[in-house]
Amino acid sequence: MSVTDLPDRLPEIDYTKYTNRQLAAIPLAVLGVSLLILAGWYVMNGVPVSLGIVFTGGTEVQIVANDSPSEIESNLDFQVDSVQPVRGSDRYIVTTQSTNTDQIEQSIDSAGYEEISKSETAASFGADSVQLALMGVAVAFVGMSLIVFVLFRTFVPSIAVVISAFSDIVIPVALMNVFGIKLSLGTVAALLMLIGYSVDSDILLNNHILRRRGGFYESTYRAMRTGVTMTLTSISAMAVMTITAFLLGIPLLPEIGIILVFGLTADLMNTYLLNLSLLRWYKYEGIKR
Amino acid sequence: MNLRENWRIVLLCVFVLASAVALFAPMAMGDGGSGLQYGLELSGGTSIRAPLIGMTAENVNVSQNVDNENRVRAAIASDLNVSERDVNFRTQERAVEVYSKNVTKGELASALSQQGLDVSQDDVRRGVTQQTREDVVSILDEKVNQAGLTGGGARLTTSGTGKHFVVIEVPNQNRTEVLNIVQDRGQVEMVAHFPDGNGSYREVSLLTNEDFVNIGSAQPAGGNQPNPFVSVALTDEAAGNYSAAMQEFGFTSREGIANCPTGTARQDPDNASGYCLYTVQDGKVVYAAQMSQGLAQEMESGDFVNDPSFIITAQNMSEAQQLSINLKAGALPTELAIEENGTTYYLEPSLAQEFKLFSVIAALAAWMAVSLVVFIRYGSPRVAVPMLGTAAAEVFLLLGFASVVGLALDLSHIAGFIAVIGTGVDDLIIIADEILQQGDVATGRVFQNRFRKAFWVIGAAAATTIIAMSPLTVLSLGDLTGFAIVTIVGVLLGVLVTRPAYGDILRHLMLSEQQRQE
Repeated sequence: MSVTDLPDRLPEIDYTKYTNRQLAAIPLAVLGVSLLILAGWYVMNGVPVSLGIVFTGGTEVQIVANDSPSEIESNLDFQVDSVQPVRGSDRYIVTTQSTNTDQIEQSIDSAGYEEISKSETAASFGADSVQLALMGVAVAFVGMSLIVFVLFRTFVPSIAVVISAFSDIVIPVALMNVFGIKLSLGTVAALLMLIGYSVDSDILLNNHILRRRGGFYESTYRAMRTGVTMTLTSISAMAVMTITAFLLGIPLLPEIGIILVFGLTADLMNTYLLNLSLLRWYKYEGIKR
Repeated sequence: MNLRENWRIVLLCVFVLASAVALFAPMAMGDGGSGLQYGLELSGGTSIRAPLIGMTAENVNVSQNVDNENRVRAAIASDLNVSERDVNFRTQERAVEVYSKNVTKGELASALSQQGLDVSQDDVRRGVTQQTREDVVSILDEKVNQAGLTGGGARLTTSGTGKHFVVIEVPNQNRTEVLNIVQDRGQVEMVAHFPDGNGSYREVSLLTNEDFVNIGSAQPAGGNQPNPFVSVALTDEAAGNYSAAMQEFGFTSREGIANCPTGTARQDPDNASGYCLYTVQDGKVVYAAQMSQGLAQEMESGDFVNDPSFIITAQNMSEAQQLSINLKAGALPTELAIEENGTTYYLEPSLAQEFKLFSVIAALAAWMAVSLVVFIRYGSPRVAVPMLGTAAAEVFLLLGFASVVGLALDLSHIAGFIAVIGTGVDDLIIIADEILQQGDVATGRVFQNRFRKAFWVIGAAAATTIIAMSPLTVLSLGDLTGFAIVTIVGVLLGVLVTRPAYGDILRHLMLSEQQRQE
C-alpha cells in the first residue's frame, strides 16, 4: 500500500441536509444548560464552581489507615470535610477547612494513623489565589481572542472561534459541578490548556474553508479528516492518562486529564456544529451583505 | 542525502544528541542518577511559603545620629508595647519597620509622630523592606544549610498581586523538623542574673548573636563535659565588655563563683538566688550556668580578653544543635507569618518515589494510546512510526532542556510533558495530512508549498497555546508555573525543531517509494 493512499475511515457527514440553525442549536443548547448550571450553583453556593482547599484555605492530609472512611472521620477530632480513599492502597486523603496544624497532627497521631503528606493553605492566601487564577484565565482568553482576530482579520470567522473556545471552557466547568470536581490548581491549568488546545481544530477548519481553494464541503471534509484525528488522539491520550494516574493514585494528573477530556469532547461538537454553521452562514450569506 | 537539503533532520539529531549528553553525562561521570533534578513532589520533603510579619513606614526623616536613634527607637518600642528589637530604622530607605502583628497602621503613625517623625497613615504599609526580605532569606538559607538539610534552601517570590513571600524548600524532611529551624527568630542572648546588693535581683543582657565568632558545631557530652556543648569565641569588643561586666557584677568574686542553683534556676529563672548566667533563646531560658573558677581567674587576669573563647552548654544534643545553628546563621529580624498567611506542604519521600515511577507509567500509557489512534488512522507504519518517534524525541528534548537549566521536575512538569505529546502529535497529523495529499511531491517547490501551508496552521495553534499559558509563568500560582514553562518550551521546540524535521522525513519516505515504483 502506498503512503499516499490513506484509507478513509471517517464517516462523511452530509451537512447539506441540515440548516445552520439546526446545526447550531445543539451546541448552543448545551452551552445554555452549562451556563444555567453555573448560574444555579452561584445562586446556591455563592460561587459558580466549588473551590478546592488551595482556594478556600484549609488542610489536605494523606494518611495510612486500616479503617473505613466513616470510622476515620469519627476518629479524628477536627472538622473533617471529606475522606477519599486512594485507589489500590490503604491511603486516604482527608481534607478540612481547619489550618490548626498542631491539632490536626495530634489528632492523627492519637488516632494511630500515619501521616504521609500534608498541604496547608491559609484562608487569606487562598482568597488571593482565586483572584490570580481568574485573572490568569481571563488574560489567557483575551490574548487568544486577539491572536485569532489578527490571524483571520474578519469578524464572523474570528468570533466563531472565540465563541467555540468560550463554550469549550464553560462546558467542562459545568461538568465539574455535575461530577463534584472542585477547582484546584490542576483544573485551572487544564482550563488554560484548553484555551490553547481547543482552538487548534477551529483554526484548522477556518483556514481550510477561508484560505484554500475548493468548495465549502470539500474543504470541510478535508479539515475534518485532519481535525477529528487530532482531537481524538488528544482525547485518547488524556483519557488513558486520567485512568492510569487515577488507578495509580498520582495526584494532579487525573484532574488535568479529566478536564481536558471534557473540554476536547465539547470542542468536537463546538467546532463541527457551531463554528461550522457560523462559517457556512458567513460564506454563503454573510459575505454578500 | 545532502546536508543542506536535510538541515532540519540534522538539526533534530544535534538537539537529540545534546539532550542525551545533558541527561546521561552525569550518569557516566559516576555522579549516580541522570542529569535530572526532582522537586518536592517527586523527591518528598517539606515546602513552606509565607510572608514576613511586619509593617513599614516610608518617607520618614530617620536621623543619622546613632545615640539619638537608639533613644527614639526605645521610645517607639515602649509606646507600641513591643520589644526594642522589633523596631528597626532603615536609614538608606528612609523607613521605619516594626516587626509585630499586633500593631495597627494608625498606632505606628502616631508613635512616630510623638517622636517628631511626621508620617501620615498612608505612608505606612503592611510588609517589610526589600533589604529585610533579603536578610531573612540569606539567614534562612544559612540555617537550613547549617542544619545539614542537603538540597534545601530559601528564596523570595512575588505573587501576581504584588505580595512578597519567602519560600523554604527542604527535601526529605518533615514539616516539624523544618519548622523547628525556621519558625523562630533564633535570637540567642547571654543574660546575667545576680543580686543587686539591695536584697533584690538584677537581670542584664550581656551578649547577643552578633557578639559571637568562631562558632563550633554541637558536641556531645564526654570528657570533662557532662552536657552537650557548643564552643564559641567573642569579638574583641564584646569580650572586653563581657569581662568587665562579669567583674563589676561580682561574678568573679569568691561569692559569685560556682554559686548558682542551676537545676532550679532553669525551671524558675526569675526567682533564682545566687549568680547565674542564662542562655536565652527567643526569650526562653534554655540553660542556666554558673561561673567556673578557671574562667573567673582568666577574666581577673585579663587572659580572657586576649583569648575570649569558652563553651556554651545545653540541656541536650538537639538544643546544642539549635544553638549552634542560631549562632552561626544569626538571628532573623522578623518571623514568617506561617499560621496566618502561609502554605505548607509535606510529602513522604517513599510516596514521592512511587509518584516518580507511576508518572512515567502514566506518560507511557498516554503515548501508547496516541500510537494506537495514529495506527488506526494511517494504517501505514511508514507514516505512524516516524510520527511517534518524533513525538518521543520532543519529550526527550524537553528532558534535556530541564536538565540543562536545572529545572527541578514536579508532577506539574510531567503533566506538561503529556500535554506536549498531545499538541505535538496534533501538529504532526496536520503535517502528514498536508504533505501526503494526492500528487507528486518530488519537486521541491510543491513540497515547500505544502509544508508552508501546514505550518501556517501549526504556527497559529502554537501562538494561541503560548499566549494561553503565558499568564501562568508570571502569576505565582504554586506549581503551575512549571507546567506553563514546560508547555511553552515544548511547543517552541516542537515548532522550531522537531515538527519541521518530521516534514523532511516524510518527504524522503515518499521519494524512496516513488523511486521503487518506477
